[in-house]
Amino acid sequence: MKRWIALGAVLSLGLTACSDPSATSTSADSGAVTWADPTAKLDGVKLTIWAAQNSNTVPKAVVDGFQQATGATVEVVTVPDPYEQSVQTKVATGDKPDLAFWQPTASMLTAINARSNLQPLTGAPWLSTVDSALKDITGLLDDTRYAALITSPAVEGVYYNKEVFASASVTETPKSFDDMIKIARDLKAKGVTPFYEMGADRWATQWWVQVQLADAAKAGLWERINTGQAKFTDPDVVKTIATYQSLINEGLFNSDIKTAKFEDQGTALLDGKAAMVVQVNSFFGQLQAKADTASLDSKIGFFPISPGGNIGTFIPDQSNALVAFKTGDAKREAAARQLLAYWMGPGYRSFVTDRNTVSLQPAVASPAGVPKALLDVHASLPSAVGSMQALAVANPDLYINLADMIAGTMTPEQVAKATQDQFEQLAKAAGYLK
Amino acid sequence: MVTGAPGSINRRTHPLWFLVPAYGLLLVFFFLPTVFNFVYAFTDWSGFKAEINPVGFENFDQLTSDGTLFRALRITIVYAVLVAVFQNLFGFGLAVLLERDTVVNRIARTFFLIPVLMSALAVGYIFQALFQGSTLLADTTWTIVVVALIHAWKWMGLSMLIYLAGLKTIPLDVTEAAHIDGASRWTAFWKIRVPLLAPAVTFNVATALLGSMNGFDIVQATTGGGPARTTEILNIFIYRTFGQGLFAQATTMSLMLFLLVAVMAFPVIYVLRKREEVL
Repeated sequence: MKRWIALGAVLSLGLTACSDPSATSTSADSGAVTWADPTAKLDGVKLTIWAAQNSNTVPKAVVDGFQQATGATVEVVTVPDPYEQSVQTKVATGDKPDLAFWQPTASMLTAINARSNLQPLTGAPWLSTVDSALKDITGLLDDTRYAALITSPAVEGVYYNKEVFASASVTETPKSFDDMIKIARDLKAKGVTPFYEMGADRWATQWWVQVQLADAAKAGLWERINTGQAKFTDPDVVKTIATYQSLINEGLFNSDIKTAKFEDQGTALLDGKAAMVVQVNSFFGQLQAKADTASLDSKIGFFPISPGGNIGTFIPDQSNALVAFKTGDAKREAAARQLLAYWMGPGYRSFVTDRNTVSLQPAVASPAGVPKALLDVHASLPSAVGSMQALAVANPDLYINLADMIAGTMTPEQVAKATQDQFEQLAKAAGYLK
Repeated sequence: MVTGAPGSINRRTHPLWFLVPAYGLLLVFFFLPTVFNFVYAFTDWSGFKAEINPVGFENFDQLTSDGTLFRALRITIVYAVLVAVFQNLFGFGLAVLLERDTVVNRIARTFFLIPVLMSALAVGYIFQALFQGSTLLADTTWTIVVVALIHAWKWMGLSMLIYLAGLKTIPLDVTEAAHIDGASRWTAFWKIRVPLLAPAVTFNVATALLGSMNGFDIVQATTGGGPARTTEILNIFIYRTFGQGLFAQATTMSLMLFLLVAVMAFPVIYVLRKREEVL
């Protein structure tokens, strides 16, 4: 008997020892966040930044400058792909960096439990220098700022081959979604593949639905979905999915849509095998790896699209922003904030020059070598509307369901239902949609 | 002789508490995780908040209410059965083919054993690259067969080795006696040697079947669950769910997998063991 009591004691001890390690006491956000001078001395302080395989070179110039100015040591650690999943798992088991690249959207800030894991960046000193149209575009969860936007967020829109348009005597980019479909039908009649989609790599499929929802998103669709007043299964959402399917069935897409991959998409657009691709900035990154700025400027253009006009849909990604973690070490937490202040302050000019990327601050000019299409993407931001990722409280696998539809195993109605079911499950787990 | 039940060992050379460290490790690293697998399945543990609250059977209700779990379970079983069949056919064929200890056979055996030692992810990525551009990994009906073949290809060397060991332990006089009794080589093989391989079959079928139920790496590297989720075995589904921060739901699924493996293991091993009794 005694032995069993002892065993029970050991077991229950084990149980308590293994309760959620990320459950640090939610230290009351004491409102006032202090910001040290960006170049104040930090000798002996060691900071860690987590980055993904496609963002681990982003901080280099900033880190070098910061180390020189402050005497701190900053280590950039690459977390393997799938990045978001790996970071969430690490954080769930109690492992935290000082800073990390993170998608600054509501759904992803919720997913990392920003309220208990992240430092609020209230009153950040650099905000006054950021373009006022972009300052509050993202990085906020329930009106608290948790992420620092460092580069121009990605936008869902249409990348097109200017030469293909010209040879089919299309002189003006379309003014609405229907206009774009009309041009696509003309192109098809002339023997050109209008659109190229990657059914095998799946993730880009969701852009087609999201750009069709841009006007509805402007009118508050995602707030309504967040509160359960609207659903993915509502006729207006299902219609966008059905439209996507009917355009595929009509033959406006590449014939190998089921097996095509991300790489094929870039090659097809560059080679003029297809006229248009609905994509985000990382797609342009792929093009940049395949061709130089001069040929990209002459060949590839960008326009945002929505049913009612040219409203872009912005979708900030992991490489666009950083978050600072609550590590429990006040000195390192302050140093992490200081690094962000340096990054967006004295270090910003050398950062955008080093990365050859668009500047978010009117006082810092974008470098001369930024490709034209990226400037167009950036120019579409002030009028753009948030994507599902940016505005919905949970991020269901819409793209997987759409890819299944392309493969022929799901109907548009089933896509909508599966997406809604998963959205509800995630939102409930996150404490919404009670 | 000292008293005691027949077969029991009564040599008390070491005090029993010497076993405590071993049992301690077993408890912490094997028993406790299994217990937690049960406990967390009944909570709302997630990446979204710090507290963990009990929710009863809610996770089970939710999982059984939409068809995703059952589809993943079905795919897992189909996959496991395919792997078990292929791996054993290949392993058995190779063992019979390479049974004689010639130089060529020894070299060939080594080559067939190499994939067993390779990283499963590496194998997956190699085949994914090989099949790039073909429709082998894009067909919604047949891709699961292709992936099962890859899995079987990787592990057939191990089955071969075990069948070889089984073949080698068959006493020569038994087959010789059969020949003297007038059995042809064919009859001797199927009526004498194959039945004597029963223990090897038990081990091979059980490990292939139950091992591939826990499969993940090869499928993840070749198809990632596609096309259209037709190769999304349960572990890939669990991995996706966990990645979304739904830790409790993922735990619930892995509990279902645990139960499924247990439910399948007992009858399979029982039936295969029954075959051995005639020996």
